[in-house]
Amino acid sequence: MDYKAPLETYSGKVGEVVIGKGEKELKIGGENVLPLHFFEGKVENRQRLALEVFDSEPKTWTEWERKPYEGVLADPVAWAKKCLELGADLVCLRLVSTDPAGDNAPADKAAAVVKQVASAIKSPLIVYGSGDEKKDIEVLTKVAEACAGENLLLGPVAKENYEPIAKAALDHGHCIIAQSPLDINLEKELNVKLLKTFPRERIVIDPLSSALGYGMEYSFTIMERTKHIGVMFGDNTMQMPIIADLGSESGKTKQAKESEKQGLLWESVAALSLLIAGANILVLLQPESLKLIKEVIDGKI
Amino acid sequence: MVLIGESIHIISKHVNDAVKERNPQVIQDLAKQQTAAGADYIDLNLGPAKKDPEDVTKWLVDTIQGVSDLPISVDTLNPVAMEAGLKACKKRPLLNSASGRTDSKEHVLPLAKKYNTDVVISVLTDKGCPPDIDSRIESIMDTVALANEMGIPNEDIWIDPIILPVSADQKQVKEALEFIGMLADLLPGVKSTVGLSNVSNGTPEELRPMLNRTYMVMLGRNGLYSAIADVLDKDLVRLNKGELPKIVDLVHKTMDGESVDMGSLSKEEQDYVKTARVLLGETLYSHAWLES
Repeated sequence: MDYKAPLETYSGKVGEVVIGKGEKELKIGGENVLPLHFFEGKVENRQRLALEVFDSEPKTWTEWERKPYEGVLADPVAWAKKCLELGADLVCLRLVSTDPAGDNAPADKAAAVVKQVASAIKSPLIVYGSGDEKKDIEVLTKVAEACAGENLLLGPVAKENYEPIAKAALDHGHCIIAQSPLDINLEKELNVKLLKTFPRERIVIDPLSSALGYGMEYSFTIMERTKHIGVMFGDNTMQMPIIADLGSESGKTKQAKESEKQGLLWESVAALSLLIAGANILVLLQPESLKLIKEVIDGKI
Repeated sequence: MVLIGESIHIISKHVNDAVKERNPQVIQDLAKQQTAAGADYIDLNLGPAKKDPEDVTKWLVDTIQGVSDLPISVDTLNPVAMEAGLKACKKRPLLNSASGRTDSKEHVLPLAKKYNTDVVISVLTDKGCPPDIDSRIESIMDTVALANEMGIPNEDIWIDPIILPVSADQKQVKEALEFIGMLADLLPGVKSTVGLSNVSNGTPEELRPMLNRTYMVMLGRNGLYSAIADVLDKDLVRLNKGELPKIVDLVHKTMDGESVDMGSLSKEEQDYVKTARVLLGETLYSHAWLES
C-alpha cells in the first residue's frame, strides 16, 4: 500500500505586504500554511533577506565584521549598494545616529540620508529608528514626509508612539513595523489598536529578535505562536508577516566579538531558527550568513 | 453561589494604615458596605501577618463582628494568626486556607479539626502552583485524603484550584474551569471556591469587572460553590442572584460553542461573549480584547 503523508489545511492566511514602488516592488508573506510547510498549501513569496546599513560609521565593530564592507562604512549610499551587490533582496537602514543616548543627530539630517539611500538603490528600503520612543516620533514622521510615496517599511512603531508614526506613514504612503517587547498579548494589543486606523496589508510584526544564547527561544516561541494563532486559528489581528531583526543583536554578542567563525555561525544559527519559527523577512549583518541562509531557502542545503 | 467579600485586604493601603493605627472606622465601613451589598462571608486577608499576629487578628475579627453578623473567612498564611482569628469568631468561620504544602498540612489543616471550621484547601504544593490539570488533581487528592484521616469530612472542605491571571497564563484559566467541573466526580460532597479577581490581575483596572463577572458565570455553570470576589461590583452580585438571565444564557451558549449572532446584541452583551471566548482560550488575550 502506498504511504500517503497526512496533510493539514488551515483556516487562516498570512497577509501579503507590498513594499517599495514601481520596479522595486517586493512582496512579503502571503502563505496559507505554517512556516516552510510548502507541501501543504501555497507559499506566495519566499522569505526575504535584508542586509543592514548604519547611517553613521559603526564604532564597535571588530576587524572581521568590517571586512566585507571596507571602504563604504562611512557612506550609507555606497554601503547600501554594496549590500545589494552582495546578494541582499533589500536593505535595512538603521538610524543609529539619531539616538538621544548617542550622537542625537537631528531628524532632518536623518531624513535626508534616508532619501538619498532610497533614491540611489534598486530595492525597497526598511528604515529602523533608534528605538527611543520619543525621538522616533520626530525622526520617523520626518522620514515619512521626506520620502513620500517611496513605500518604505518604517519602524519600530510601539505601544507608546504608534499614533503619530502610523498617521505619518498613512499620509505619505509607507508600511510600518509594529514592535512589541517579546510578549504575545502586547503584540496583539498593538495590532488591534493599529487596525482601527491603519490598513492590515501594510503592517509587518516585529516581536523582537534576541540573539542565540541571549533569549532567542523567547523570540522563537512568540513567532511560532503568532503563526499558529493567525494561520491555524484564523485570528485576523495576527496574520501580518513577521520581520526578524537579528543581525545587530547577534553582532553584539561576546561570541561574535571573539572570532569570525563563531560570529558567522552565531548569526546563521539564529537566522535559521527564526526562519523555521516563521520570519518572513530576516535582517542580517554579514554577507556570509546571508549566502548560507539563501542556500537553505533555495533548497540547496 | 456563596460570595465572600474580598475588600478587607492587608495589601490595600487604607486597610494597612487602619490596622497599624488600630483605627476601626475603615475596617467597619468596608464590612458594612460588603454586608449591605449582599456578601455571605467577609474575607479578612492578613497576608503573612508578621507583626503581633495574635493581637492584630483578634482586634480585626472583633472590629468586623462589631458591625456585621456575617461569618468570617480568616485568610492568612500564618498559623498563629489563623488560630487567634478562628478562636475569636462568633459564627462558624471559614479557614482560608490550607494547602498541600508541608507546613500547611502540619500546622494549618489541624486547626480546621480543632475549631470545627469549614476549610479552604488549595492545590498549592511545596513546588508551587501545579502546572497542569493532572498535577492539580494529584495534589488535591492527597491533601483531601489527609484531611479525611484527620476527621474533616468532604462537606467541610472547599477546594481552591488557584486562579491565575488571564493576562499571564490563558491556558491555566481554562484548565481551572475544567478542574471545577470534575470535582463532583473526583471527590463527592466537597465544595469549592476561587479567588475570582485574580483572573483579572494585571488587566487595566476599568476592564477587570468584565473578566471577573464572566468567569464567575462560567465557573458557576461548572458547579463552583463559592467565590472570594468584589461584592461591591453591583452587576457581579446581580448576575449571581440570577437577575441578568440573558447575559448568563449568552455566556452558556458561548461555552457550548453555539453560534451567536453578534449583530443582534448590545455592546455590553457582545462584550460578555468576547470575554467568554477569551476565557475559554478561543481567542488570544490582549488588553484590547473588547476592541476587536
